[in-house]
Amino acid sequence: MYTISQLARMFHLSRSTILYYDSIGLLKPDERTNKNYRLYQPRSVKKLEMICELRNTGLSLKSIKQIISNRKAEKDSALQERLHAINQEINTLRKQQQVIVSMLQRKDPARNMRYVSREQWVKFLRTAGLDDKGLYKLHVTFETSSPEGHQDFLESIGLSEKEIKQIRDASKEGLPPEKT
Amino acid sequence: MGAVTVEEWINLFKAVGLSDEDMKKWHRLFEDRNPEGHLSFLKWLGLPAEKIEEARSL
Repeated sequence: MYTISQLARMFHLSRSTILYYDSIGLLKPDERTNKNYRLYQPRSVKKLEMICELRNTGLSLKSIKQIISNRKAEKDSALQERLHAINQEINTLRKQQQVIVSMLQRKDPARNMRYVSREQWVKFLRTAGLDDKGLYKLHVTFETSSPEGHQDFLESIGLSEKEIKQIRDASKEGLPPEKT
Repeated sequence: MGAVTVEEWINLFKAVGLSDEDMKKWHRLFEDRNPEGHLSFLKWLGLPAEKIEEARSL
């Protein structure tokens, strides 16, 4: 037979927790001493072990009470339900995690030239006196002097990844050939 | 982030044959046709407020 203090030590619980389990009818003492102290038999120790285990899965005391008074099949289905709920919580958290990551990765909106389209750039540059050859040379020079800046500029005027790659590849081809 | 500085941009324009006068004309045109776009480009280049004012009132 075990006293309440022994049980508390065994499972790292406080005495008041075990008293509470008694008060809600989850774990009743098997006997009382003549001084009215609670005493527990080994099967109650096993039961408390099970209670602690189920508590670690996040189940409420109310569910635990139902589970341990029921048969195994019912216990399993309660556990499966809990597992399902946990999986859904994980999915929700994962989605929130993705949103946060993409928020942090998003570039500073001030660096986007939202008001200037690619067509407008071409038009303005032509008006400034650049012809097709000049525009091409601009890309080639940009790619040579500052590849990252070129990429950043093309992104900022709203070109797709594919378009950017095409332009940059063509610009690289225009690099002065290596001396032979 | 491959930020482009205003100096790099000017060198770029010079390299393709634009003169100082061409660039001024270009700013005026930009400001005239698309003031918001002009502003966002100057901000993108990282110009301080007073330089932005200057370029917009050429």
